[in-house]
Amino acid sequence: MRKAILLPVLLLALSLWSCNDRCTETRVTKQFTPVTISLMEIRKSVTTQAPRTLEHPGKIYVRGNYLFINEIKEGIHIVDNSNPSNPRFVAFVNIPGNGDMAVRGNNLYADSYTDLVTLDISDPVQPKEINRVNEVFKTGQFDGGWWNYNESIGAINGQDVTYVTQEIETNCEENPVVPGFWWWGGGFFRTMDVAFSAQSMAAPGGGGGDGQGGSMARFALYDQYLYTVGQNDLHLFDISTPTKPADFATINLGWGIETIFPYKDKLFIGSTTGMHIYDNANPAKPEKLSVFQHMMACDPVVVHDDVAYVTLRSGTNCRAAQNQLDLVDISDLTRPRLIKSYPMQNPHGLGIDFPTLYLCEGAFGMKVFDVQDRFAVDKNLISHFKDMDAYDVIPLGKNLMLVGKDGLYQFDASNPRQIRQLSKIPVGSLSI
Amino acid sequence: MKVSGLFLIQLLLILPGFSQSISPKKAYVNHTEVGLLLGRVSYDGNYGWGGGNPNQIVKNRTNLSMQMFNGLQYNHRLAVGLTTGLDWYTAALINPLAAGARYDLTGKKNVRLFATADAGYGFAWFHKNSEGYHLTGGTMLNPGLGLRFGKPDGTAFTLSLSYKYQQARLEIPTANDIESRVENREYNRLALRMGLLF
Repeated sequence: MRKAILLPVLLLALSLWSCNDRCTETRVTKQFTPVTISLMEIRKSVTTQAPRTLEHPGKIYVRGNYLFINEIKEGIHIVDNSNPSNPRFVAFVNIPGNGDMAVRGNNLYADSYTDLVTLDISDPVQPKEINRVNEVFKTGQFDGGWWNYNESIGAINGQDVTYVTQEIETNCEENPVVPGFWWWGGGFFRTMDVAFSAQSMAAPGGGGGDGQGGSMARFALYDQYLYTVGQNDLHLFDISTPTKPADFATINLGWGIETIFPYKDKLFIGSTTGMHIYDNANPAKPEKLSVFQHMMACDPVVVHDDVAYVTLRSGTNCRAAQNQLDLVDISDLTRPRLIKSYPMQNPHGLGIDFPTLYLCEGAFGMKVFDVQDRFAVDKNLISHFKDMDAYDVIPLGKNLMLVGKDGLYQFDASNPRQIRQLSKIPVGSLSI
Repeated sequence: MKVSGLFLIQLLLILPGFSQSISPKKAYVNHTEVGLLLGRVSYDGNYGWGGGNPNQIVKNRTNLSMQMFNGLQYNHRLAVGLTTGLDWYTAALINPLAAGARYDLTGKKNVRLFATADAGYGFAWFHKNSEGYHLTGGTMLNPGLGLRFGKPDGTAFTLSLSYKYQQARLEIPTANDIESRVENREYNRLALRMGLLF
């Protein structure tokens, strides 16, 4: 009987235990702080400095034995890559508001907020500013933070981006992805994505010693022109005298332009709403042929022969909830047709060295596909590199260059079935 | 997952040892239960979008739970074995796989008090994720007490009251300015079950 008393006591103890579900959501959000920077200050800050470590690697660009890595919004790292197994930082060029670059011969073209800066890199250790086209770009964004040119005071109104971690008590259910209305207030344009343009496997015509960009570049060289895409227009710079680029023409493209991809004599322009195809037979005056519309999404594009490879992804700045790779038949450029969609995890940049397609899956690493059978791409996954962050990739034939949030990787890809890592420059370190 | 794997391996290794000491007439034990998981949740009704002003809401939670213990009688008081179950939480279907024990606290009477304990891992194998969401399970602990009604060596009807702890992790899709969203869940429930033990 003594034990029978035990029961109610234990029951009481049990009922007094906390029976509350505890669910905590950890949410990392970008926070934007307004800043104003004067053009005068920006223009005197282009300087060459001692090599620095990668902090927020952006786009990459390759020219000969040199590798250019954008430090988002801050400048360009110059890396001597004559030995891909042992790349060496040689200099850092401080360029405020830099996000893109292109190289022809010994001239490096870089954006610096509103301006297009030309640097002489005949001595890569000591690049020098030789030309500047003033106030050609009016607006842009870095890492989701927008800037625009305030003409009346000659300054940039920008936003600094910081990451804020929040802990929220939730009801242990699937809470809404994002209550859209909270964000439509002042952030409409924020929903458009960083520019993703594509690299061209076909050597761009007419360029003596052009370099090669990744699928994130917004700059492209073709014939005697430098094409740059802004949010809603295409800028043409005449670089017939490479040391003196001249503002040549502006073509309005509509809304949410992200990417430009010259392939043969066509321009493939990616936007948040679709892929525009332009005829570039006359490089001075591209003409619109067609638009391939899709869901609102971020979409880098690469092209090989009659097939365009387009990826859509969800996530920061992209409004799509789907992640996929679309193969588009472009044999008739005026009537692009979908071949097949393949679901992916979180596709970012991509590169093609036919029949091998390299696809960056963000935090999910890099996937290598054989795309010869266009209806069975998903069944021809050659390999999947998981332990890396993959943002953009440049296939250079024998070698493969890949950049992610955690650093820059180089691979020996002479045999796509046996890709071998040559080196990694991790973020925050000067050596491999 | 590793933890539960170890449990299973250990169980498989030690079970043959148990069979030595079991009286031949009753070796196998099955305890099947169905019941409710009772609890509460307090949360921010603004889901963190309220600009630092949480809107505290408290709600009751009642969920269905089923489980089956299959084991071997170690001695006349203790049975050990494997517990499998299904728990329908409000937004998660979890199937725990656990090592379990049933222990009679009182002697050979027709109404007896017993202790029950299950420990293992709750999987989300049968949970269907919404688009973009990804749920994974976690550690499960379930100690408690119960009453069994019935003849000592025959089929018994049981009522049990136990504390149930279940972890889970949910990845939530991001959009706009959100970089990452991960929800760590800890279900703390009072489990009220009835069942049959034979």
